[in-house]
Amino acid sequence: MLNILLLIPLVGIIILWLIPQASSLYVSRILSIITISLALGVSLVLLIQFNPMDDSLQFLENIPWLAPLGLTYRLGADGLSLPLIVLNNLLTGLALFRSDEAHHRPRLYFTLILFLNVGVTGAFSAQNLLLFFLFYELELIPLYLLIAIWGGAQRGYAATKFLIYTAVSGILLLAAFLGVAWFSQSTTFDYQSLQHHHLPINVQYLLLIALLIGFGIKMPLVPFHTWLPDAHVEASTPISVLLAGVLLKLGTYGLLRFGLGLFPEPWLALSPFLAGWAVVSVLYGAFTAIAQTDMKKMVAFSSIGHMGYILLAAAAATPLSLLGAVFQMVSHGLISAMLFFLVGVIYQKTGTRDIHSLRGLLNPERGLPIIGSLMILGVMASAGIPGMVGFISEFLIFRGSFPVFPVQTLLAMIGTGLTAVYFLLLVNQTFFGRLTSNLSNVPQARWSERTPGIILAILIVTFGLQPAWLTGWIESSTTALSHVFPISTTTLHS
Amino acid sequence: MNELLVQTSWWVPTYGLIGAIATLPWAIGLVQRTGQRPAAYFNLLMTVVAFIHGGILFRHTLGHESQQLSVQWLNAAGLQLFLTLDISTISTGAMELITGLSLLAQFFAIGYMEKDWALARFFGLMGFFEGAMSGLALSDSLFLSYGLLEILTLSTYLLVGFWYAQPLVVTAARDAFLTKRVGDVLLLMGVVALGTMAGSFEFQDIYDWAENADLSPMTANLLGLALIAGPIGKCAQFPLHLWLDEAMEGPNPASILRNSVVVACGAYILIKLQPILVLSPLALTALVTLGTVTAIGAAFVSIAQIDIKRVFSHSTSAYLGLVFIAIGMQWTDFALILLVAHGFAKALLFMSVGSIILTTTSQDITEMGGLWKRMPATTFAFLVGSMGLIGLFPLGGFWAFWQGINAFWYDSPVLVLVILLVNGLTAFNLTRVFRQVFLGDSQPKTRRAPEVFWPMAVPMVSLTIVTLVAPAIFDNLSLIPDWELINPLSVVLMVTSSLIGIGSGFAVQFNRVWARPIQEPFRFIQDLLAYDFYVDALYRRSVVLWVSTLSQIGSWCDRYIIDGAINVVGIVSIMGGQSLKYSISGQPQTYALTILIGMTVIGLLVSWLV
Repeated sequence: MLNILLLIPLVGIIILWLIPQASSLYVSRILSIITISLALGVSLVLLIQFNPMDDSLQFLENIPWLAPLGLTYRLGADGLSLPLIVLNNLLTGLALFRSDEAHHRPRLYFTLILFLNVGVTGAFSAQNLLLFFLFYELELIPLYLLIAIWGGAQRGYAATKFLIYTAVSGILLLAAFLGVAWFSQSTTFDYQSLQHHHLPINVQYLLLIALLIGFGIKMPLVPFHTWLPDAHVEASTPISVLLAGVLLKLGTYGLLRFGLGLFPEPWLALSPFLAGWAVVSVLYGAFTAIAQTDMKKMVAFSSIGHMGYILLAAAAATPLSLLGAVFQMVSHGLISAMLFFLVGVIYQKTGTRDIHSLRGLLNPERGLPIIGSLMILGVMASAGIPGMVGFISEFLIFRGSFPVFPVQTLLAMIGTGLTAVYFLLLVNQTFFGRLTSNLSNVPQARWSERTPGIILAILIVTFGLQPAWLTGWIESSTTALSHVFPISTTTLHS
Repeated sequence: MNELLVQTSWWVPTYGLIGAIATLPWAIGLVQRTGQRPAAYFNLLMTVVAFIHGGILFRHTLGHESQQLSVQWLNAAGLQLFLTLDISTISTGAMELITGLSLLAQFFAIGYMEKDWALARFFGLMGFFEGAMSGLALSDSLFLSYGLLEILTLSTYLLVGFWYAQPLVVTAARDAFLTKRVGDVLLLMGVVALGTMAGSFEFQDIYDWAENADLSPMTANLLGLALIAGPIGKCAQFPLHLWLDEAMEGPNPASILRNSVVVACGAYILIKLQPILVLSPLALTALVTLGTVTAIGAAFVSIAQIDIKRVFSHSTSAYLGLVFIAIGMQWTDFALILLVAHGFAKALLFMSVGSIILTTTSQDITEMGGLWKRMPATTFAFLVGSMGLIGLFPLGGFWAFWQGINAFWYDSPVLVLVILLVNGLTAFNLTRVFRQVFLGDSQPKTRRAPEVFWPMAVPMVSLTIVTLVAPAIFDNLSLIPDWELINPLSVVLMVTSSLIGIGSGFAVQFNRVWARPIQEPFRFIQDLLAYDFYVDALYRRSVVLWVSTLSQIGSWCDRYIIDGAINVVGIVSIMGGQSLKYSISGQPQTYALTILIGMTVIGLLVSWLV
């Protein structure tokens, strides 16, 4: 089944290049939407067939590939990856739906997005370290091109920065993966066989630190984050959505799967430091976001803060906090995607993202009232107001991490308060007040522009009111992951 | 108790929510043919249904033990969250008070908001507001209560920001949200800590845990302070009191609810939390201290206000300060009766104020005068509301204060003085406002003021009657003690303080032209009180300044230090490559020398490292 999921976009790409009419924006967009809808359908089928009680890998695919290298084509999904695979297809679909402005070389554009989708799905389902690395790099190239070709004025700088950062991240990962196989004298890179390595502890430290920095760049964590605001500002709206919604999750997913999963002992020893790092990231992201005037930058810095919560939860590594971490990945995926879609509409209609140039956009006749209402919902969800999905994930993380790291958890909570500060300033500044005269000819938003926001809003509220519909899929896998920690359960109960 | 009634009790908060959701098609402009009225009527109907259903429930709880209704909401990774409702006389009574006042306020709003273009949105928000508050009244789970408190914060923000195009509204909504959010985040810390320590979020389990809890004083005090922080924000107590005064920029019908029941919700949670607060003497002391500071401070500040809504909003803070004192001293009966008496009276005063504002299109009391001839029902409502607020026989305030004075009589006479002082100051203030607004000569804005039309008059008169019969309600609920127990001295003191207040209110001369004293010290005092002791300026120069400076510094570091370092690395590599390219001369000896030097350096490094 996972094979099919990877094949669908590839087949879509071939069709895209076989049909001559697909050189037009309209046809290629429709074709790629159909492709991703199929992929989304298949991933939903996977979700239904998935046995939530079973904490082992499901839907395994195992094809020997380059056996001498230890590279097998080995895919599988569990509660950690399956929600992210579905999220990836959902957000790709919505991003394609909103890609109605890519007039420049549309066929290439849609091909790259479909490639990106394949890379991300592959990385989430790869069960071989080398295969993960291949997919991780595969996702990098289309994204670089998507920013470099269809980006804003400074796109060259931003794309190169992104490329170098992520390439460094990839090199560190590769080094760590090679190291783990080399030092444990394994003949294979399969995740499950490497999980039971018996490496000396200082080697483990070294490898874990390489992974931490590698994934820390991708997440991103302070101080490896400066590529993100630039990339977001320069990327077009659909690319920003994918970047924040899905791509950052590769970092957090890798941190849990490979950092925590492969090196539990050094992880445990480093965890107080990691929790401290998380607090720094949360507060730094939040404080810096307050000073931003570009809406996209503000949302980007808010992402940095929100990814910090995941590191906190991963450091605590209790069953509850890990559940919260995966929940937060999904919830941040939905919320940040929604915010980027809405900011995209505002930018498209008003031509600016500067919060000081905008005012009174809630105006019912000449402003963007529905976009504004959705924006209020989105920022409130991000600030952790109950009834929406952001609250649940933060609550699970805080409640799960508090027994292990009380002080760090309390400090991280200040971040939710600060999130309210900067997002409230954003909404108050741009949507409240009297519509300024230079904005009085803002074109009305069309329903097609509102649709992605509305779909995401419905999901945000639904999972906020019924989190059990999401936790059910995740729970057994994260509980199993927390058991790789031989000691954590005992410290919890003491 | 009827099982079916208990099982369906959760419907009552849901009605408001259904009403709110049903307004969406009108609020977002999908339905335009009918105008916005049907949405308003539907919400009103939903509140009527909630009121009737709640009333039946309330009647059935009288004389019965409280019952719990619990649903498991989330069971994940060892965490069990329940949505638990407590069906008791107190909780359903509180819910009835909320739905009843919401019903009257919404009825009032049909008149007050008649010409507003966003009527549907307003009623939707009111329904949301009402649902959250009713749920809070019934909630028996700390988790649920916290969630609903946050939702109240959100709906306060949206209601205060209802007329979002006005500049003052923008800052008012922002301050309301952020001030409450400060309290909420601290409360969340307390909730998470408490839930972890007690192992459950149900109030019953927490109470059981608290009986045998063995906490270090430090932990207990921090926990207690975190838990009271949320209610401090909700009840507009010092130091998180600024928002209530600014929130007066919002529509008046929402102010009716905000000043009567919304602030009471914070106090209600405190009462629920009391068995835990007992663990922390510091938190109880803080409640009494902050309550005293707010009660006296706000009572004085209220006297210097000329905006009629702000006069009463500060007075709300003062009364909630007394409630805080009551809770801090663990006199729950006093707290409850004061909340109810204050709720009725303040709601009525705000209705009367709403009528005045709508008729005169002004909120400035210095522009008013002589309204009593023109607006008899409003005048009467104002009088009854004022009487209900202060300690004058026989209305609600009298019985509430009587309870309080009796409670503190032996243990803490100082607090008796606080009650008497607040009562006297309030009496003085109400008399002052009454004289300026209703007595005296007509002013340009009040000369042709007609009495309000029936959609506003009906709820106002109804609430006047309710406030008049409030003592009978207290008597029915046996909140009023026997006559034999009454301490005559306390009654004399209370009535005297009220009479002194009223008398001095009448005795003070005021001349519209000389409203500003000439003497410097008096001017200073007037300004100090009128600007609320300059607390907002203080915040702007401290907390707000620190946060914004910190964020500016963070942003600067991000831009120039962290990102700067990255750019330096980039530039150095580019420059390095650019300059090295000139060394490409084609001479093999140079290349060989370079390789040799490089190899030597690397070899030395490796041998040094290994």
